[in-house]
Amino acid sequence: MVDINKTDKGGEETIDKPQQHYHLIIEKIKEQLLNKKMILIALIPIIVLGGMIVFLFNPAGQLLLQNSGNSLPEITIERIEFQDAKIVAFLRNTGSKDIAIAQADINDRIQPAAIEPGKTLSRLAIAKVIIPFSWNPGEPYEIGITTSDGIRFHKSIEAAVLTPTPNLEQVSFFAIIGTLVGVVPVMIGLLWFPFIKRLSTNKYIFFLSLTAGLLLFLGIDALVEASKIAAQDVAGVFNGQMLIAMVTIVAFLALLYISEKLVERAATTTSSVKSLKLLESSSSLASAADSRFEEEERKQHELQHRKRLSSSLFTIAFMIAIGIGLHNLGEGLAIGAAVLLGNVAFGTFLIVGFTLHNTTEGLAIVAPIAKSNSKVRLRRLMMMGVIAGAPAIAGMWIGGFLYSPIATIIFLSVGAGAIFQVIYCIMSWILNNSNDKNDIVNDDSNIKNRKGRKNVWLNPPLIAGFIVGMIIMYITSLMVSS
Amino acid sequence: MLSSRLVLISAVAIAILATVFAISSSFSIYSSNITYDDSKKSVSGSGNNDRTKIATINTPHGVYQTTGDILDPTSQVIDDRNKIVIDPMKYLRTFNYGRVSTLPNGTILREFTLIASDNKVMEISPGMFYNVWTFNGTVPGPTIRATEGDLVRINFINNGSKPHSLHTHGIHPADMDGSLDMVGPHGGRFVYEFYAKPFGVFPYHCHMQPLEEHISHGLYGVYIVDPKKPRPIADEMVMMMNGYDTDNDKENNFYTVNGIPYYYMHHPIQIQKDKLIRVYLVNMLEFDPINNFHLHANMYQLYRSGTSLTPSEYTDMVTMSQGERGILEFTYNYIGNYMFHAHKTEFAEKGWMGLFLVKGKSELDKIFDDGSNNNFAQRNLVTTTTQETLPGGKGDSGRY
Repeated sequence: MVDINKTDKGGEETIDKPQQHYHLIIEKIKEQLLNKKMILIALIPIIVLGGMIVFLFNPAGQLLLQNSGNSLPEITIERIEFQDAKIVAFLRNTGSKDIAIAQADINDRIQPAAIEPGKTLSRLAIAKVIIPFSWNPGEPYEIGITTSDGIRFHKSIEAAVLTPTPNLEQVSFFAIIGTLVGVVPVMIGLLWFPFIKRLSTNKYIFFLSLTAGLLLFLGIDALVEASKIAAQDVAGVFNGQMLIAMVTIVAFLALLYISEKLVERAATTTSSVKSLKLLESSSSLASAADSRFEEEERKQHELQHRKRLSSSLFTIAFMIAIGIGLHNLGEGLAIGAAVLLGNVAFGTFLIVGFTLHNTTEGLAIVAPIAKSNSKVRLRRLMMMGVIAGAPAIAGMWIGGFLYSPIATIIFLSVGAGAIFQVIYCIMSWILNNSNDKNDIVNDDSNIKNRKGRKNVWLNPPLIAGFIVGMIIMYITSLMVSS
Repeated sequence: MLSSRLVLISAVAIAILATVFAISSSFSIYSSNITYDDSKKSVSGSGNNDRTKIATINTPHGVYQTTGDILDPTSQVIDDRNKIVIDPMKYLRTFNYGRVSTLPNGTILREFTLIASDNKVMEISPGMFYNVWTFNGTVPGPTIRATEGDLVRINFINNGSKPHSLHTHGIHPADMDGSLDMVGPHGGRFVYEFYAKPFGVFPYHCHMQPLEEHISHGLYGVYIVDPKKPRPIADEMVMMMNGYDTDNDKENNFYTVNGIPYYYMHHPIQIQKDKLIRVYLVNMLEFDPINNFHLHANMYQLYRSGTSLTPSEYTDMVTMSQGERGILEFTYNYIGNYMFHAHKTEFAEKGWMGLFLVKGKSELDKIFDDGSNNNFAQRNLVTTTTQETLPGGKGDSGRY
């Protein structure tokens, strides 16, 4: 509709020239009619579709579909809580028809139970089954629910743990764990800032691609984790795997748009003049073979380019912080949920593992800003650390107190999308940067430029960085996998 | 530009909405005042029809009060007597002696009718429905009983959709074995005729392939042959140990004695103190290799297969594989509730448990004075009419 209006306005202008008033009015009426027509045309398929759906739900349509196979009942046990002398299972009717629950069992032995709000569940309805039971901490349990047609659905718990209730003690416990696992390691990672800052270009590219490698690992890890949850805890009707793909891609594109927008704005605002001047005087990434010819023009061109690069470096760091923050939110959710679901017992080793694993995330934030020649304030750095690390605490609370598998996979997927976007930004930054020298030497024609451009994948520090990053992440991840 | 921004905004909006939905769905389960259709609750049939009433489950693990429904086959009763797979209390002491007549040579002829069907979906446990295959509409099928030397004639009608047969354990000619010749579906008929021998307790069952399927769905029953010189008078009962594989995964979901899990837990079998109790016990449990019967606070004389008048063992625990059976005789000297159950505890905890409620004589006078338990009085009652002689002559006796 927007496009049509635009073209019509264009038409208006041409008609304006004859300056015939009534002509203009006719045009407006025509335009309105066209709009109405357009709406009508757009509605036709929807009306036909509606008719078809009405037919299918009518007795005639039902007759047609009578022998198209029977739909099996399906129940998903979304969550199991171990409370004082009782076990509570949360169910959802994820089949295509209403069902009645007939009985509950623990470890395949029938137990008297109560079901709230009632034993009849309409499609996608939820219910809570309460089974009085003196369970033993640390032991595995299987909770079974049988429908009125005798089909049993079950869910296993590796080790029963008293389900955390949101009291002050538990909230602060999660906050402490979240800080240890999320914030502290990222802050430690930030301490690499002075080291990265003093590196030569090649080494710097190595560390930058190492960062990309680390992030790639985290992104894939998030997707794997999300799809595991989707397979285990999310009912088929929610189409968990596709939800992951959709959310990841949407997050990637949305964040890409936002970050590009931020870079563009940063490059055009006057506030960046200061950084531009700083860049001018600097020689950190300076091209050795700076030609003397057409100096003015070239310099301006280069400065423009650098200004963009510098602001994009900060944006990248910022985006990395956000991406890692989302990742840590997902990680926090997973840890909290693991506590809630009794899949994990907190041990020192696990905390140490997460700390080592997440220290690399601090490195990832610090790497891009190290070479942006604007002043890096400690406060700003700390803020990025908090953006990246603190969501782990929130994740712990959400995951630990009200675990929702769908929310978890959405958070994990957004995190993955954010991370892939960051990798994309880092990679394009490296590519632009490593081409700098060639750009300046062979700037006179595009063809020459392209000929002279090195194959980026023949860049040893880049490849080495990627590989080392992945390996580091794999090894540190061994410490947290149970 | 505008449209791309629009797409972006809507995409982000969708993502946020999805997240909110996901989280709110986990929230909503916590809120105690969930509104729901009251009419749904009345469907429950849990004996909790008073909608405002708070139901209570009382278990050894604790008491829980709920505004919802109770899921408890150990204490709940199947309300709908039309859908129940069997009335275990009626089955317990019902022995069918057939339509009795005397042949010219003096032999007693007992005629029975067994109708096989395989299309019924019946309630086997509170709120649990299963496609049972039945003889005369129940699982287990009716108990048929004769005396050694009688001629047994069973008019077998197959009203099912699959071929079925009647295979009776005991001694008989090959063509009466019902194991190789099937009777066709939709009204196929066959008359099985053989002399009742030897005395003992036997199972009968369909022998159609796949045997596992036909037996696990419920096509079996008990066949008793009494010795010519009757056993001592006793309070006699029949107990069939079986199971149901409701989800067809070749593993039983329920174990029962006499067809309904836990039935005798909430309906204890009332017996008289100091009176001889005789249990005709048969195991037709499919899938599981063994089953057993353990009696609490007592011991029983065990007559394996019931083919001897001398007990083979004095015990409180007998283990049987599929098709094995025996006669158990015991007397309780103290009043009170006594459990009996499979001492394979898994079976017990999936329904195979019950109670004997031992009472003094005066308390039980009502039960025994109506003659419903006096099987011996009726077993040799010769009738020349078409009427059957059933204990009490009640129920759908016309079929037997």
